[in-house]
Amino acid sequence: MTPDQLTQAIVNAIVDGGEGFLEGTVAAALPLLWLLIVALHLARPYMLRTTRKFSLRLGADIWWVLYVGLRDVTIVLTAVMSVMFLYPDVVIGNSLPIGGSLATVALFGALLVKLVSDADNDPRAFKLVSNLIGVGSALYLVPTVLGVQLTAVDWGPFWSGVAKTLATDTDQGVALALCLFSIAAIAIMGLAAVYYNLRAPAKTDALRVRQGSVGA
Amino acid sequence: MSPDDLTNALVNAIIAGGRQWVVSTIAALLPSMWVMTIILHLARPAVFRTIRKLSLRFGADIWWLGYVLVRDGVILITFALSVIFLFPNLALTIDLPLTAPIAGLLLFASLYVKLLYDSDDDLRTYRVATLLLAVGAGFYLIPQIFAIESADVEWLSPVASFLTSTSNTAWEAPIVIIAMIGYGLIGGLIFQQVVVRGSRFGEKVEAVDTATAA
Repeated sequence: MTPDQLTQAIVNAIVDGGEGFLEGTVAAALPLLWLLIVALHLARPYMLRTTRKFSLRLGADIWWVLYVGLRDVTIVLTAVMSVMFLYPDVVIGNSLPIGGSLATVALFGALLVKLVSDADNDPRAFKLVSNLIGVGSALYLVPTVLGVQLTAVDWGPFWSGVAKTLATDTDQGVALALCLFSIAAIAIMGLAAVYYNLRAPAKTDALRVRQGSVGA
Repeated sequence: MSPDDLTNALVNAIIAGGRQWVVSTIAALLPSMWVMTIILHLARPAVFRTIRKLSLRFGADIWWLGYVLVRDGVILITFALSVIFLFPNLALTIDLPLTAPIAGLLLFASLYVKLLYDSDDDLRTYRVATLLLAVGAGFYLIPQIFAIESADVEWLSPVASFLTSTSNTAWEAPIVIIAMIGYGLIGGLIFQQVVVRGSRFGEKVEAVDTATAA
């Protein structure tokens, strides 16, 4: 082996190893984030109940702002980290949950519903968001547990088949098809969100809280 | 191979590999930053809706301040990271999205609009800023997904080859040059309007009197 070949081999190892490490870390963090999303979304009745216990409106406002901010930022961060499920090479080259790309679609769907309707006050919109988050978390967590995390376990041919079906690298055709479908679905939702914003975004000077106006 | 050869090979590998890894990581991170930028920019109506539910102006101000700070901070970080696409050496040696320099340029244009006009209150300005961001995101995300991250998908290889900076050097050079000229023009416009003409210097708003604020 010449020094140049050795240099190239080490460069490739650093780049590929680093990329694999990053993707593996994101994939490992995502189940936790999905659980956090579900927990925060379903914590709404408890948060509302606590809001009523405050003796000052200031405390209630801060509590509610923190809850809404934390809940929605968690959804946004998870959606951003899930973008890797839209990369065909990443999906077919790594052992990832096969429902990951569809779960990403569900998450972007929940964000779109939150954008175009008042999911905090409208029960129908809240139900829709809840269903999207519920379906999304199932699409992510079930293949993670029964697919990605079951490949090294010998429970017989049935479970081995299940594990292969639910992991992207052992079911590449389906994984790629779902990935391309998800790209199209998210692109359409993105265009819908842009169109919604271009129609008539609210103006800051028209904003009214219950007393006074924002920034006044 | 002598010990010196081995040392040199390792040193070169650490430097070249480290640089390539940093650039590739920034390129891989940028799609997420673009998505975050778009999500936060488009979240505006939902953020307003929450403001209306707050009972005090204090809470509303904190909410709005937090939103604007995070939204514009993310745009600024994305813009700063996008500067790597103006380095021709990197674009010609590392696989990067072909139109990434144009995406960075559109982001800069959006920042120009935000800086010199009130895109939070003027609908026309807001629309321009939104469209610039949306088109910029398209210019970044489409080659990232269908070229850089689809190299192993056989039937996409012609598209991948066309949209990757290292395999389409004929297009890459003019794109980088156009982006450089665009950056220079927008930067010059900002300098001219803010510093030379001073017409956009702005006026510091006095804090609202406590008696009237209550």
